[in-house]
Amino acid sequence: MVFNSYTFVVFLAVLLVLHNLPFSWKIKKVNLLLASYLFYALWNPPFILLLWLSTVVDFYMARLISVEQRPLRRKLLLTISLVLNLGMLSYFKYGGFLLENFTALLAGVGIAFQAVKPDIILPVGISFYTFVTLSYTLDVYRRKFAPEPSFLNFALFVTFFPHLVAGPIVRPEDLIPQFKTPRRATVAQLNWGLFLLSLGLFMKVTVADGLLAETADLIFGLPFPVQALDAWTGVLAFSAQIFCDFAGYSTCAIGVSLCLGFVLPDNFRYPYAAIGFSDFWRRWHITLSTWLRDYLYVPLGGNRRGVVRTYANLMITMLLGGLWHGASWTFVAWGALHGLFLCTERLWRDWAARRRAKVAKLIEREPLISRASVISPPPLSTNFTKFGLALLTLFLINVTWVFFRAPTFGGATLLLLSMFGVIPDGAAMLSTTAILIVGLVTVGLVACHWLMRDSSLVQLSTRLPWWVLGLGWTGMLILLILTQKSSNSFIYFQF
Amino acid sequence: MKTPDYRKAAWLTLILVLAFVAGWELYWRQQNHALSYDDDESLWASKRKLVYQSSPARPVLIGSSRIKFDLDLDTWKRLTGEKPIQLSVEGTSPRPMLTDLGNDPRFNGTVLIDVTEGLFFTPSGSFPEKGAITRVAAYPNWSLSQQISFQINRVLEANLLFLDQEKLTLNPFLNSLPIPSRPGVWGGPRFPHAFSVNLFDRQTKMTPAFVADTALQNRVKGIWAEIGAHSPKQGVDGPLLTGILNSVKQSVDRIRARGGKVLFIRTPSDGPLREAEKRMFPRALYWDRLLAYTRTPGIHFEDYPILNQYQCPEWSHLTPKDAIAFTEALLPVVQQKLESPINQRRPQRP
Repeated sequence: MVFNSYTFVVFLAVLLVLHNLPFSWKIKKVNLLLASYLFYALWNPPFILLLWLSTVVDFYMARLISVEQRPLRRKLLLTISLVLNLGMLSYFKYGGFLLENFTALLAGVGIAFQAVKPDIILPVGISFYTFVTLSYTLDVYRRKFAPEPSFLNFALFVTFFPHLVAGPIVRPEDLIPQFKTPRRATVAQLNWGLFLLSLGLFMKVTVADGLLAETADLIFGLPFPVQALDAWTGVLAFSAQIFCDFAGYSTCAIGVSLCLGFVLPDNFRYPYAAIGFSDFWRRWHITLSTWLRDYLYVPLGGNRRGVVRTYANLMITMLLGGLWHGASWTFVAWGALHGLFLCTERLWRDWAARRRAKVAKLIEREPLISRASVISPPPLSTNFTKFGLALLTLFLINVTWVFFRAPTFGGATLLLLSMFGVIPDGAAMLSTTAILIVGLVTVGLVACHWLMRDSSLVQLSTRLPWWVLGLGWTGMLILLILTQKSSNSFIYFQF
Repeated sequence: MKTPDYRKAAWLTLILVLAFVAGWELYWRQQNHALSYDDDESLWASKRKLVYQSSPARPVLIGSSRIKFDLDLDTWKRLTGEKPIQLSVEGTSPRPMLTDLGNDPRFNGTVLIDVTEGLFFTPSGSFPEKGAITRVAAYPNWSLSQQISFQINRVLEANLLFLDQEKLTLNPFLNSLPIPSRPGVWGGPRFPHAFSVNLFDRQTKMTPAFVADTALQNRVKGIWAEIGAHSPKQGVDGPLLTGILNSVKQSVDRIRARGGKVLFIRTPSDGPLREAEKRMFPRALYWDRLLAYTRTPGIHFEDYPILNQYQCPEWSHLTPKDAIAFTEALLPVVQQKLESPINQRRPQRP
């Protein structure tokens, strides 16, 4: 079930009523769990078995790990959990990709091997719930989190429908403690939750699907070069589309949870105002980037094992992060580009820090001469410089989106060549209206992110009179009603 | 940090949104806007589900807009007791649907294939196949959730005029803004609102306003000319055409091998549009060759005086009134053609 459907409206209404009836807390949790299974099963019922398998195995494996004192046995139990979770993910998500590459590899060494293309359907949300259950087992293994004694609480933690299929990727400490005591939304929480749900739907339905998807789909689907204006418009359309689609989903998830009295972690913090790529990853899909940091980058050694290992760890993390998004080399290339930009930024920062230290030392020794002869790195303190760097970051991010969205490397290359005017005789494809719409949305989005980069919606709402909030809310809902698209899937479901 | 008064904001929003919805609906009622269902993937899937009930009296119709306008489903039902299953999609080639039915081992019904040469004889995967490909691909993934949403939507659409995805949504409004397009860029056809409505059984009909208004009809004639100007000047030929014929034959043979029946239909067109079609797709090279290559019977409107007496007000489709008469005249010919020996073969064992 998707949030932008009539089915979900009915589902949520029934669930809100049930959740506010005078049942015991245990019954309310059972209601939530059953509702979550229903939410998932309405896509493809058989795949619920995978969800159960993952839930049951990880619940008991974590218990065994917590009572086991022998290190080898603990490792063995952890390995069983990892093999099961990552094995399921690998089979369903990467089975076809691995076979395709294996066949190509054999062909490369002159062995003709024809394999039947496996007909594997990707279970919705498997990448997300696998990471959720893995974080639990790993935290229990590291003795960071005590195993949850209640199967109901654990199953609800894994399956809670707002985050189940596209995040935010929750950690045990985010959600399990909230299931221990009775929760019901206050009137303010309910209203704010409904506001967030409306905002998320507006971002998804009106902006991403209504205003941008057609332009992005058209440009990325063309097998021939286009004019630079069309190419950039297509890429900017996708850039805004993927943000509004995914951040829209997260906003809906957070809003729906709040309507039920639960708080989910933030997943986006105005990423298109990021200054640099490390800042971008502190603002984009925050729950994935922190997951990769805590369960991949840090265990690999992080920045504690010398300069070369630090950069290698960064690259490995970003390459796997790219592969997490989809079984294709274009996603790996997208991750590699992010890794390279992160490494470059780190190099620059290290150089700048050393330079600053050197300057400070010289000034200390010979203040007059040094001030005149040493050029210090450019200051980042002015708003103008910051905004310029944010635009540079956004420019590079847009280049990486080409690999993320293009179906093949050939398509990505064609589009990049068109964007930078290398192919001068490309076709004009987009109408003036389409270009104006994408331009206005992009400017609006960047302005909004820049103005809000150090703030939050909650803070903004406290500064606004209630009627301004009401008018903004009304505007979003009217545009939502006018757009009417009700069933397009979210882009991140396919991951 | 003070807590804002969310409750007041929520009430204000509720009142204003309800007022907007009521006002918007009343406005379109006052404008006599005709009720039309969204002809999307879900509506198509709801009919695709029915193909296993197909019989000569209840054929599956695949094609483009002409059969949706010209074959009146209610008239057919009045005459046979069964309503055909309409799977045709405006502006698309029926070939992806034919392939889909050919590949479906459970399908052994009757298919009437509407042939509009400019759409039918196009390379696989080309633009005219897009709408059909999208629907065929979406059908196996039509989830329970989408089916429930479809049922709720059906009730809402039947009662609220403003829920008209094709005409009364944000994008059609934005596209109708008087913004001149870039040189060399064509934004696609923009049909007048009154041109047609889509019913729940996927019947398409011209509105009475359109039938009565020659200015609107001339606008649509202009759109056909515009489409012609942006289309290839020559029909496909050579290996490309042979490839198309091969794929059609393969699907037709598969359906017939399971005991199904297939019939091609060429519905009326006239005026300069018909002349252009004759020039681009000479009958001997396309229609006659299609029938001969696939060894399948066909009904060409020009071969039957009873079917060749109608005028298309905008050169391409019949009025609702003529569609009734056309269907009454067409049915006996269809029944007779379906009795032809090639359609009487017994199913082959797999």
